[in-house]
Amino acid sequence: MESEAFWLYDLVGEDIAFWIGYLTNGKHLNWYASFRFTIMAAVFGAILALVFGLLGAMAKASRFAPLRAVGSVYVGMVRGIPDVLFFLFFPLAFEQAVEWVLAMQVCTPESIAATQAKWPPCREANWLLTTNQYLILACVSLGIIYGAFTANVIHGAMRAVPKGQLEAARAYGMSDFQVLTRIHVRQMWVYALPGLSNVWMLLIKATSLLSLLQVADIVWWAGQLGSPNFLPQAGLVHGDWRWAYYIALFVFYILVTLLSEKAFNRLNLWARRGMPEEG
Amino acid sequence: MTIIETLLREIPKYAEPALFNLYFAAVSLPIGFAFALLFALGKTSKNPIIRGLASAYVYAFRGSPLFIQFFMFYSIMLALNAVWWRPMGISWLMMNPLFIGPLALVMNTTAYTAEIIYGALRTVPRGELEAARAYGMTPYQVFRTVTWPNTIRIAWPAYTNEVVFLFHATALVYFTLPVIDGQRDIMNTARNFFERDYNAFLHFSVAALWFLAISMVIFFIFGLVYERLMRHMPKERTASRPRLRFGPKYIR
Repeated sequence: MESEAFWLYDLVGEDIAFWIGYLTNGKHLNWYASFRFTIMAAVFGAILALVFGLLGAMAKASRFAPLRAVGSVYVGMVRGIPDVLFFLFFPLAFEQAVEWVLAMQVCTPESIAATQAKWPPCREANWLLTTNQYLILACVSLGIIYGAFTANVIHGAMRAVPKGQLEAARAYGMSDFQVLTRIHVRQMWVYALPGLSNVWMLLIKATSLLSLLQVADIVWWAGQLGSPNFLPQAGLVHGDWRWAYYIALFVFYILVTLLSEKAFNRLNLWARRGMPEEG
Repeated sequence: MTIIETLLREIPKYAEPALFNLYFAAVSLPIGFAFALLFALGKTSKNPIIRGLASAYVYAFRGSPLFIQFFMFYSIMLALNAVWWRPMGISWLMMNPLFIGPLALVMNTTAYTAEIIYGALRTVPRGELEAARAYGMTPYQVFRTVTWPNTIRIAWPAYTNEVVFLFHATALVYFTLPVIDGQRDIMNTARNFFERDYNAFLHFSVAALWFLAISMVIFFIFGLVYERLMRHMPKERTASRPRLRFGPKYIR
């Protein structure tokens, strides 16, 4: 086994071989693997945000006044309150709601009396969430928060579709629902894309908050790997290297933003094909 | 009835923590605004090096999460503590969250505000600039009398949003920096109460209420300033006098 490793030393020299070894040790592989949480949160958060956004926009444009009010409150809600508050609140509230329902099923008066803590009512009703469950809740949370932004964007885009196109569709004898699904929503995307790209950028940046929900994501691992590392056999392996790891994450997010921007520019060009040039 | 009583008893507990959020915002915003003006001018500079550096800075800090930026600044300060701050005897200042918090927020708001001002700078009417130059004004006079008044008026609605969102961003400070001497902001207080009795609905709603109320106050004050800035314009809503809308553009 040793002879196999030596060719690497001969090839790149001792220093680089050390760094290759360091950056591919088990903990670092865990760090690289934890990028899956961030990517999943971004992808599923975005899909949910789109769903909530479409629902919110439809509610906001509804003819039924209470539904319109719900839409307006939903869209307005995220503006006055920090996203991190929602991000923490939704999963906690959901967890407690489930525990409350569970408590009504399984708790007996004796078990409630035997419980010291204020929540949950009895020990049987305690729900310990796994990482994956927290991740799902985080995705829903991101979907709800950024769904409100998306709803705002889509609401604006729906109104930007030229009236003539809708009137033409109605003149062809399409029903209201057909006009909505065949013309309105499809034409809307072109106008929504710039706004949606902004929301996507926000969503990506919000995925850095996953560690607040006890998901061992890239930020959590960066803190773990960078902390001063002391081994009884080897002494101090390295001092406080957290700054290097956080700078790496800083650069990572900038690169993701750069790539998304390029992708959205492409998408925008594709969506606008055949349309007259702007300005 | 008891619900309202509990709420009323809960609300005053956040008054002191709210001061920390206000402190972070109030310290970062003026400094950030001054730097942002420099960076915005740098982005319009003819010198490609200055332009490149200013653009790169703005792109980097708008393109990465504030949460990471907090961790980054704190860890850099921590690493420099042993080599610089402690030998120089200023560790008490440099390692204080009341210093690092505004430092990170200033770096962040500088980038966002610079982008807003840059956008506004580019919409200053060309004819007015040419007229000012034709009068024989120096570049400083042109800036002072034509560019700046136009820029601030165009940028003000967007800047109002930035101020509100910077205020919201102060909620992240004590997620990343250590709490010393029981100095807690609104979010940290809510989390602290939550860990005591697990009443998420009460504590987080009241925290949200505080953020909402202060956001509204900020918005109202900035609206008054906007009215004053636009006092020479007709009262009707026209294309040149857009309504100040509480519409988020960018948050972190």
